[in-house]
Amino acid sequence: MYIKVFHHNNYGRVPEKMKRELLAFLKYSAKRAVTIMVVVALAVYATIIIANMGGYVDEIIKIETRNSIYQSVFQNPAYQSLSTEEKRQMAEDLYQQELKALGLDRPFIFRSVGYLTSALSMELGKAMYLTSDSGSKAVRNIIVERLPSTILLFTTVNLMLFFLSLIGGLFISRKYGSKLDKIVVTLSPLSAIPGWFYGIFLILIFASWLGWLPYGGLVDVPPPTNPFDYALSVLKHMILPVFSWLLAYSFIQVYTRRTFFLMFSSEDYVEMAKAKGLPPRLIERRYILRPTLPPIITEFALTLIGSWMGAIVTERVFNWPGIGTLFYQAASMMDSPVVIGEVTIYAYLLAITVFILDIVYAIVDPRIRAGVTGA
Amino acid sequence: MVKSLLEVKNLCTYFRTTKGIVKAVDNVSFCVEKGETIAIIGESGCGKSSLAKSIIRLLPRNVHTYIGEVYLEGVDLLKLDEKKMNEIRWKKISMVSQAALNSLNPVIKVGQQVAEPLIIHEGVSKKVALERAKKALSMVGIPESFADRYPFELSGGMKQRAIIAMALITDPDIIILDEPTSALDVLTQASIMNMLKIIKEKTVKTFIFITHDIAISSELADKVAVMYAGQIVELANAEKFYKTPLHPYSIKLMASVPTLRTDKKLEFIPGTPPSLIDPPKTCRFAERCPWKFEKCKNEPPLVMVNDSYVKCWLYESKGR
Amino acid sequence: MSIKRLKETFKQLIAYKSAVVGLCILGFIMGLSIYAVITIPYEEAVKAWRLGEDVSINNPRNAAPSWINFFRQKKLPETMVMDTLKSGSNARKIIIPRETLSALRIEFSFEFNYDDFPSEINLFLTSKYNEAAPYITINWTKPNGATIRLKELVVKGTDRYYISIDNELAKKLRLYLSEKVGQEIPYEIPPHMSLFAVEDESILKPETAQVLKGKYRMVIEGILFGGESDVDARLVVYGKVFGLAGTDHLRRYLVIGLLWGAPIAVAFGVLASVSISFIQMIIAAVSAWYGKWADMLLQKATEFMMILPFLPILMMISIFYKISIWVLLIVVIALSIFGSGVKTYRAMFLQVKELPYIEAAQAYGASNFRIIFRYMIPKVLPTIIPSLVLSVSGFVFLEAALAILGLGDPVAPTWGKIINDAYDKGALYQGYYYWVLEPSLLLVLTSLGFALLGFALDKIFNPKLREM
Repeated sequence: MYIKVFHHNNYGRVPEKMKRELLAFLKYSAKRAVTIMVVVALAVYATIIIANMGGYVDEIIKIETRNSIYQSVFQNPAYQSLSTEEKRQMAEDLYQQELKALGLDRPFIFRSVGYLTSALSMELGKAMYLTSDSGSKAVRNIIVERLPSTILLFTTVNLMLFFLSLIGGLFISRKYGSKLDKIVVTLSPLSAIPGWFYGIFLILIFASWLGWLPYGGLVDVPPPTNPFDYALSVLKHMILPVFSWLLAYSFIQVYTRRTFFLMFSSEDYVEMAKAKGLPPRLIERRYILRPTLPPIITEFALTLIGSWMGAIVTERVFNWPGIGTLFYQAASMMDSPVVIGEVTIYAYLLAITVFILDIVYAIVDPRIRAGVTGA
Repeated sequence: MVKSLLEVKNLCTYFRTTKGIVKAVDNVSFCVEKGETIAIIGESGCGKSSLAKSIIRLLPRNVHTYIGEVYLEGVDLLKLDEKKMNEIRWKKISMVSQAALNSLNPVIKVGQQVAEPLIIHEGVSKKVALERAKKALSMVGIPESFADRYPFELSGGMKQRAIIAMALITDPDIIILDEPTSALDVLTQASIMNMLKIIKEKTVKTFIFITHDIAISSELADKVAVMYAGQIVELANAEKFYKTPLHPYSIKLMASVPTLRTDKKLEFIPGTPPSLIDPPKTCRFAERCPWKFEKCKNEPPLVMVNDSYVKCWLYESKGR
Repeated sequence: MSIKRLKETFKQLIAYKSAVVGLCILGFIMGLSIYAVITIPYEEAVKAWRLGEDVSINNPRNAAPSWINFFRQKKLPETMVMDTLKSGSNARKIIIPRETLSALRIEFSFEFNYDDFPSEINLFLTSKYNEAAPYITINWTKPNGATIRLKELVVKGTDRYYISIDNELAKKLRLYLSEKVGQEIPYEIPPHMSLFAVEDESILKPETAQVLKGKYRMVIEGILFGGESDVDARLVVYGKVFGLAGTDHLRRYLVIGLLWGAPIAVAFGVLASVSISFIQMIIAAVSAWYGKWADMLLQKATEFMMILPFLPILMMISIFYKISIWVLLIVVIALSIFGSGVKTYRAMFLQVKELPYIEAAQAYGASNFRIIFRYMIPKVLPTIIPSLVLSVSGFVFLEAALAILGLGDPVAPTWGKIINDAYDKGALYQGYYYWVLEPSLLLVLTSLGFALLGFALDKIFNPKLREM
């Protein structure tokens, strides 16, 4: 292999090895980026097909448009004087014009590719039925409006669960066999019941029966004008949803982490570290945490992104105005542009996350950098 | 008499398992003088590794009984609290364990790992520690540039050497080597043994060398202890042992080792060692012993025969 | 997979208390399922559930379970059905025949000793006649002797007299009671209250109204024209409690829905879980074994499916296509088979592939098919059993989630659907807590059962965990 040696002014030679590594790394990243984009494109396309029911939804639009145009023409007093035949002709012309304007005159297959390209370039178009609170019909605006609430709620919950499970798992793995350990293990099956189900009962108890906390929604109605009070109100509304998820998932996550740490703490190099007389905290940090960090972080990032798709049922149960509820509304109304828009954004988010994770992984774990680990 | 560097007295280590209590180390006693190398020989499952771990107090969670005395320079290690023990670990005793191939942290560079004990125990700065680590690596035959590499970039033999370097770097008084060469091929084995011999000659180090391979042990040992079913059945001077082993087990062991210069019919020992769970009250080797007689129904005493200790009824009359 | 291995596993399993609890719960649920399937065949259950109102017309609406009376001081009434067509019910019919005109007298008499009023009173009439329809008058007698003329009517064919919503009767009774008490009754008292109330000041407020306990009679007297004319009547005094589980807004006996929810939930969960796990395993095995193109293709398919958001697409399909629960099951399976499990299993199979006995099998010329199915898969199988069991709960709740959102099978009697109905009809605001709690309890029990079992199995089958 022909390797050039640079002389950077006074900086001396760029080490060969690092240069080689960087090149390989860039090649790897580029390959990954391309494959991920292909998958994203396919996924969005599949959604387009499904969201349009293979063109069926467009047929419905066509029929509706036709009916409304015919109706308006035939009932318009300005056209009363025209003969039926003339009216029909006019209506038909208007209809064809409208079709062209909507782009519905070409077969679905071609249009679907058009949808794909615009979706991928983030031109998400206009919603059919839904509107944003500010009155805009642009899909992007609608989604962007709802996104923050979902991110707020689920990032909070997932961060809490992450740190709880990490710290709790580490703590409990030290006290293996203790009472606390047994309690966590016994309560893990509570995760069989999803968070939203606990949510229903929390609402029953705290909102319906005791009346301490609100039934749902983002803020009090009418919302407080003072930003501080507004924030407090939002916090108040977050209590039940967050708590329902903590109830469901904290025990099992602590349990999983603890098992994970226990498995890794029986590794030989941990034994060796202990034999070296290293302080236990150092061992935890450097010998147990560091090697296990990559999968833990990957898991966290993917869970986070997944939850942004809005745990739809949780959002419905708590009437939380996020993209989960938006999705539900859009799907029930067959508002395909919104549905496609959401899925596209999600696909991109996921793809970017996976891509970044791959890079982070390679940085943190030297084995991956050298391409040692296959899968 | 000069007090021994390490004195193990009536050490018992039992483990709790789903099948019962395993008496891995059952009333073991021996001593090691400064600069001496004692080889502890025994087959798999006789409790050698547990013995090593018991000395350095690195026992797993399911330990049931851990009594006895282990005096290091007069201080009973079993009585120390964990913090104090941690200070002693690696400073005074270090260990190279079995399966060293996974003993290095995969995500940390080799040099850093070798330097670690210095930073922790001696408060040396990172820079200086790394320098000393590189020197230690070269002492065991690894080029200094490898300090910057990760464990997966090293071969099995090199990893083993790195670990030995790590074990030497704080200049401990005692180094326990638990089967340091079992996982390696014969050539690497030979080179590592040579390296250990050089270290032994150049420095005054005390080794506790645990192995199942009699031939290997003979290269380093000054003293030999034979372990069988959790007990020490013979403790003797190396020369005496390799020429004239006393205990039936030792005799049979020597008979099974091929010799280079003489022609020998190899023997083997029929049967298997007893289970360490609820071991028999008889002499534990009795079942497989060709010289068994009725006294063997009871546990034999430790008898001293000319500076050697044997745990066998056959020598009852000869010694005390 | 020998019997011995199963027995061993079972013995190990029993050692865990949690597993025993789980097995008991599952036994209970399975018992419910078997009972449901045996006593009420699926088509009948769906029919009963769908038609609701028509089939269970004798049931009260939104009645609580009967055992609730055990905890109450004021006993809620049960439903009483009195039918001239059924002997033994408190209905007596006498026809005094004459040539052209026959006199008819039907008398219903019953004891009413509950502390609360009935929820509804209906009278169902059927008549037979040639030329002229029979003419009847209906009278009501309270225990205190007061007799009230309820209505006079001509019975043509099948007729129903909904006494409780007869506004004229209500007004008439209100007037009557106001006079009796000497004060105007300030609210619109319905007939099923006025016909049963103690006639004093207590009636002035609905909360304080008292039930007059004693013997009640309804007498129907009528004239039958012609010899073949006949009239049959059924009086139903609807209570506020019914059966083991109560009823819903369509008078459907909840026990049917609850019972049938069990086999549906279990079938859905188990079928989904087992099919997905097995298919994922096969895909992973093929991917790992054949490598190269097959591997790459299958891996890409997996990544594709993982990006596709599962729940939204499921929702879209069920909204657009209005599918039944079994088609839903197939869709769920189809969407899940290329899930993340494939990656995990593939990693396992890659390890198994390197095992010496696989090489040996190749050496003796075993076909790829044989190697995959007889050697590789059985090796990995024990490890997937725990996750298989654990994921059942997830699928049970998935189906419930869709039903609660209103997206599931509109006719299948599932627990989720019951909760959905309850929510729709504002059960929580009206105090019909049992309507939500009963199916919820069963959902929780079922998933807990599987979860407990799954966790215990995990401890047994997961080799690394076993060391602890």
